[in-house]
Amino acid sequence: MTAKKVIETKNLSRVFKNGDIEVYALTNVNISIEEGEFVAIMGASGSGKSTLLNILGCLDKPTSGDYYLDGIHVNKLNKNELAAVRNQKIGFIFQSYNLLSRTSAIENVELPLIYNRTGKFTNPKKLAEKALEQVGLKSRIYHKTNELSGGEQQRVAIARALVNDPALILSDEATGNLDSKTSIDVADLFVKLNNEGKTILMITHEHDIAQFAKRIIYLRDGSVLTDELIKNRSTKESALKELALTT
Amino acid sequence: MQQFFKTFKVAFQAINKNRSRSLLTVLGIIIGVAAVIMTISAGEGATLEVQKQISGLGTNLLMIYTKTEHRAGAHVRMGKPVNKKDFDMLQHNAVWISKLSPLIVDVAQAIGPNGYKSIAIYGVSDQYFDILSRDLASGEFFKEEEVTTAGKVCVIGKTLKDELFSDLDPIGRQIRIDKIPFTVIGLLKEEGKGAMGQDQDDIILAPYTTIQNRLHGHRRGYDIIMASAINEDHIIDAEIEATELMRESHKILEGEEDDFEITTQIELQEITGNVTGILTILLGAIASISLIVGGIGIMNIMLVSVTERTREIGTRLAIGARESDILTQFLIEAIVLSLAGGVLGVVLGIAGNQIIYKLTNFFIPTALYSILIGFGFAALVGIAFGYFPARKAAKLNPIDALRYE
Repeated sequence: MTAKKVIETKNLSRVFKNGDIEVYALTNVNISIEEGEFVAIMGASGSGKSTLLNILGCLDKPTSGDYYLDGIHVNKLNKNELAAVRNQKIGFIFQSYNLLSRTSAIENVELPLIYNRTGKFTNPKKLAEKALEQVGLKSRIYHKTNELSGGEQQRVAIARALVNDPALILSDEATGNLDSKTSIDVADLFVKLNNEGKTILMITHEHDIAQFAKRIIYLRDGSVLTDELIKNRSTKESALKELALTT
Repeated sequence: MQQFFKTFKVAFQAINKNRSRSLLTVLGIIIGVAAVIMTISAGEGATLEVQKQISGLGTNLLMIYTKTEHRAGAHVRMGKPVNKKDFDMLQHNAVWISKLSPLIVDVAQAIGPNGYKSIAIYGVSDQYFDILSRDLASGEFFKEEEVTTAGKVCVIGKTLKDELFSDLDPIGRQIRIDKIPFTVIGLLKEEGKGAMGQDQDDIILAPYTTIQNRLHGHRRGYDIIMASAINEDHIIDAEIEATELMRESHKILEGEEDDFEITTQIELQEITGNVTGILTILLGAIASISLIVGGIGIMNIMLVSVTERTREIGTRLAIGARESDILTQFLIEAIVLSLAGGVLGVVLGIAGNQIIYKLTNFFIPTALYSILIGFGFAALVGIAFGYFPARKAAKLNPIDALRYE
């Protein structure tokens, strides 16, 4: 039995035109991610990580090639349909959290449900509470975002990415603004969510964080360099031990 | 629809989050709307006041006088003055006219026991008091008999009384008008400023016959024949009738133009109504400018707000907001702000009218339509000036917006 494919790209290319010069940000990228996977994408600056994330996140369209998200052929969708796909299939986590300022945690988490037009979520408050509980912030539900620490803010953002029960959680340098200890906590949270069945794709340039994933894809110059499973996955304990050694 | 309500909530939260800024933003609208309401209401109040003064001239009034034309900047009489012959013609034949009085205006020096003054003296008949419905504070009007005998009696107004008599009771005392002694028999009830701003109490009324025969030698014609229609419904009939009689009296052939003019009170009201109406529109237009300035203020703040919230907009787009959701959100923000400003402006405007009334005793009715204009204009300003920033927000590229620093 083969698992359901959450992401499937076929010869994905993205070309930016700058005057007469064509810049290939991505060339013939073929990636396939199944349900329940936890994948890290790594690569140097300019390797095409962000471009790939934008396309996988349905914020951008490929110049050529096909992209299937949870069985939907994304290439053919118009703006509003893309918005709906982002709303229902994807949970975004950003480096700088991107929470609404001076707004309570629960209101932030409810945000994706506000834009859901399917009528599927009849009790957004309850769902938001549940998501905040999942990330361990039950006691901070009504705190304003500016009253929370960086790690807590990122947890709120993760709850926001969970609340709509997406097919895919996309993390763009989620630990980039956090200290090492908090980064490990967040990575550990990803592992926990993955163990609960969430499919997670995270972009990172931190090697130790990437080691929490099950599989790691290296990009170089817009192409997949390596794509392999991780044999010795980090755990919270091993990472903390290593952290203690290096400091 | 449900989506609209959700967006409405989002917009409202955003306003609430920036309370002090929101308040500053709407300040322009508040002042604009209040200004529109207050100026329009002031115009209306002025109109009302003038209309009141005109109807105070006496209902059913008709004025018949020689046609004048503007020539080289001066009024020039075009026909012979209205005179006794015309007066008798009207008196004997008119059925729609109940009262008649000649009016001769002269300027003379009046000397009393405690002062003197150059003043307009009005020569009228006893019916004049009824025509203009003027009342007395004390004493009595002169009678028909005193008119026919050219009696040296007069009725004076309060302002003149104060100058000539100070605190003395003028009734029964004498004043000298251009050296001729007159007995004061009546004091007019105070009337205040007239429709054209003249002091209606700075006046002497005397029998026209006396003025004609005793004051300045012999004067033939009258300045105006004042008349009163039998009632308000027959002013037009009275006007038509008077026109025919005057043409007959002046022997004007068919096809020839009138050499006199008749003005009725209705026409007076229309003329002043037009003038004050134009004034109201003008004032309102000036006040609207402040509303537009207020609208630009909203646009300015909204544009700043869009830039400031670029990341937020990017996030909303990323997690599934449509462009239309963002557009609606910012548009609602602008409209809610301007409507809130509208409401507060209406309150301020009405309060302002009350304060002016309390301070100056000049009653300003808050015209309902001024509220509607002010409020409607505020909403329009919100939509018009909110649309551009809202569209700017909606058209942001989510990728760039997410990374905006």
